[in-house]
Amino acid sequence: MQGLLALSRGIDNVTEFIGKSVIWLIFLAILISAGNAIVRKVFNWSSNSLLEMQWYLFGASFLLASAYTLKSNEHIRIDIVYGMFSNRTRQRIDLFGHVFFLLPFVLLMTWLLVPYTWRAFDNGDISTNSGGLIIWPARFFLLAGFALLVVQAISEIIKKVAIMRGLMEDPHPFISAHEQAELEGAALAKEVAELEKLAAGDRK
Amino acid sequence: MIELIAQNMAPIMFVSLIAFLLLGYPVAFSLAANGLVFFAIGVWLAPYSGGTITLDWSLLGTMPARLFGVMSNETLLAIPFFTFMGIVLERSGMAEDLLDTVGQLFGPIRGGLAYAVIFVGALLAATTGVVAASVIAMGLISLPIMLRYGYDRRVASGVIAASGTLAQIIPPSLVLIVLADQLGRSVGDMYAGAIIPGLVLTGLYVLYILTVSILRPNWVPALPIEARTLGRGVTSLLVAIAAVIALGYGAHLWLYETQGANADILGATIGVIAIYIYALIDKTTGLNTMSRLAQQVIMVLIPPLALIFLVLGTIFLGIATPTEGGAMGAVGSLFLAAMKNRLNLTVIRQALTSTTRLSAFVMFILIGARMFSLTFYGVEGHKWVEHLLVGLPGGQTGFLIIVSVLVFLLAFFLDFFELAFIIVPLLIAPAEALGIDLIWFGIILAVNMQTSFMHPPFGFALFYLRSVAPRGSYVDKVTGIKTAGVTTGEIYWGAVPFVIIQVAMVGLVIAFPQMVMHYKGVVVDPSTVEITVPGFAPLAPGGAAGGGATLGAPNFGAPTLRAPSLGAPNLGAPVVNP
Repeated sequence: MQGLLALSRGIDNVTEFIGKSVIWLIFLAILISAGNAIVRKVFNWSSNSLLEMQWYLFGASFLLASAYTLKSNEHIRIDIVYGMFSNRTRQRIDLFGHVFFLLPFVLLMTWLLVPYTWRAFDNGDISTNSGGLIIWPARFFLLAGFALLVVQAISEIIKKVAIMRGLMEDPHPFISAHEQAELEGAALAKEVAELEKLAAGDRK
Repeated sequence: MIELIAQNMAPIMFVSLIAFLLLGYPVAFSLAANGLVFFAIGVWLAPYSGGTITLDWSLLGTMPARLFGVMSNETLLAIPFFTFMGIVLERSGMAEDLLDTVGQLFGPIRGGLAYAVIFVGALLAATTGVVAASVIAMGLISLPIMLRYGYDRRVASGVIAASGTLAQIIPPSLVLIVLADQLGRSVGDMYAGAIIPGLVLTGLYVLYILTVSILRPNWVPALPIEARTLGRGVTSLLVAIAAVIALGYGAHLWLYETQGANADILGATIGVIAIYIYALIDKTTGLNTMSRLAQQVIMVLIPPLALIFLVLGTIFLGIATPTEGGAMGAVGSLFLAAMKNRLNLTVIRQALTSTTRLSAFVMFILIGARMFSLTFYGVEGHKWVEHLLVGLPGGQTGFLIIVSVLVFLLAFFLDFFELAFIIVPLLIAPAEALGIDLIWFGIILAVNMQTSFMHPPFGFALFYLRSVAPRGSYVDKVTGIKTAGVTTGEIYWGAVPFVIIQVAMVGLVIAFPQMVMHYKGVVVDPSTVEITVPGFAPLAPGGAAGGGATLGAPNFGAPTLRAPSLGAPNLGAPVVNP
């Protein structure tokens, strides 16, 4: 079990690193999109490759971040019944879900995406829009996103078993979506107050 | 027996989806698993189904292309852009400044603080579009002032929660983007359709406060003299506004020669920029030709108005697609935060982290829904739903009422992303069969979903307010008087009148589709054109002379936001429906 937990920690570190890095791709997409709009209006020039680049970047970020979102337990649930169960039952539901809902789906998609990506790479397919981008990187992001979910699912299963055996603390004890909303609200209020203080300090 | 099951796969699948979702495992993967399990069962039972099941294993091979379709959807790109913009703005302190200033402006009249909350709520809705941000800012700034000067706690908390939810219905709301995408309509049309219902709803809130201030004046008292820190000076503000109009009109006349139709916007822009710069100089040099109130109002209101123009104005004028509008808004929000000294790397990183997290879970619900719909359509589920809903009594109206009730109830435990991705696609075919315009339908759904944000005891706006409203009694900072906190019961009761207003609003949108249908443009009806033109006449070149002559001229640039829909009905990006 210790070996498995070490594996799980390794997986978590990788997905966390990736998940925290890809946020900047969205920033890049924002800058490209805004720049594109301005350039098109002012210089009457636009490029399909820049248009496609925006969703390549967005796709890469949400797909590659999904494993980290899973690790942080932030894929939303409907907790109206779930919240009424005992902690033990909730752990069982999670384990059941990881094994029978999540893993089969992401495994199947990964398996289907390998030839799909390979075909585009092998043919050197290019977008049908004139001046469009080469296609395989976009397909590769899909593949990589699902592959990361497969390994993250394995890590989650290991952790869930360890939690149920009492070998580790639950890193994400259950709180309902409404309690979560209250916590987020309070955190935001605090943050805005701190920024206000900083800004006031700067003005002095 | 096995034939019976095979021929009724759609209802069985739908009921089991509810069970899958209620189990509480993340929605995205429960949806996908439900699709996958029933895909396997469907393939196995296909021979017994008498042709109602059209699934075979090779169909699974289409999933990668379906996933690619989700990824390459340009409309949904607007989600991260507007989310980022909202998160940066909520940290920029814009909401706080607006509430302070507008509260001072409206405070002296009875119910003034409540009007200020509604007004700022609508302004924030048109910029941040995040319910949490608006409610929290109002709960922190306006609620303590309202409590201090004796507002009824229920009215105070109700108006804050409700005004915060305006973010859901006033463009550039995420709900409208997602609904437009799922209904296969352009986001620009959805935005155009939502504007009037959004404003009418805002008006209904104002009407409610007005009624309260007449029937129960002590529930919504005016601010006492000592609380009006910005002092008097409304006259000065009115003079300033008159100056802007005169300047803008002058610039319009001057520019019309060279710029033609663009002169309206350029003229207005020049007027607004001029007064902003004047207020800035007036304040920094200590000249103080304007009252402090006027200075403050101008300097606080103009940046968000400029941002609204940058985003919605460019979308409605057809300069930018909604996605680009979102991106420009995001950049604009960075400028605004920087101007207020609130921008640093941590803020950007946090905003990006939250944006990515939201994008990941939203897009994966959509991915799960793609797997679900592959199977559900394969067992002819869409035909089952259509059959079920088209046969309802009452035709169009009956369908709309029943769908509204359904969405109202489902929204207790599904959030709007789940509703939009799972339920809405199933409603398209019956709606179209009944001849319902999908933009109109989308707006009705959006008002319903907005209601779910304030409906006790599940509405999220109520929880955001709870998080910042004082629970126990506290000593007021200004008066030093011990003040009781706000109970959860008071927050719930305060929301009730607004929920009733929402229900009335749904009824109004159903009864008066014209509120939405203007998005198609009104050029077809000559009588409408004649009615509209006099309203524009003051800005027409050469005053009255322009009126009759320009009626038919296609390049006559009308000065209001409504105008673009006359000439350019297809404002949004072409919709890619994966």
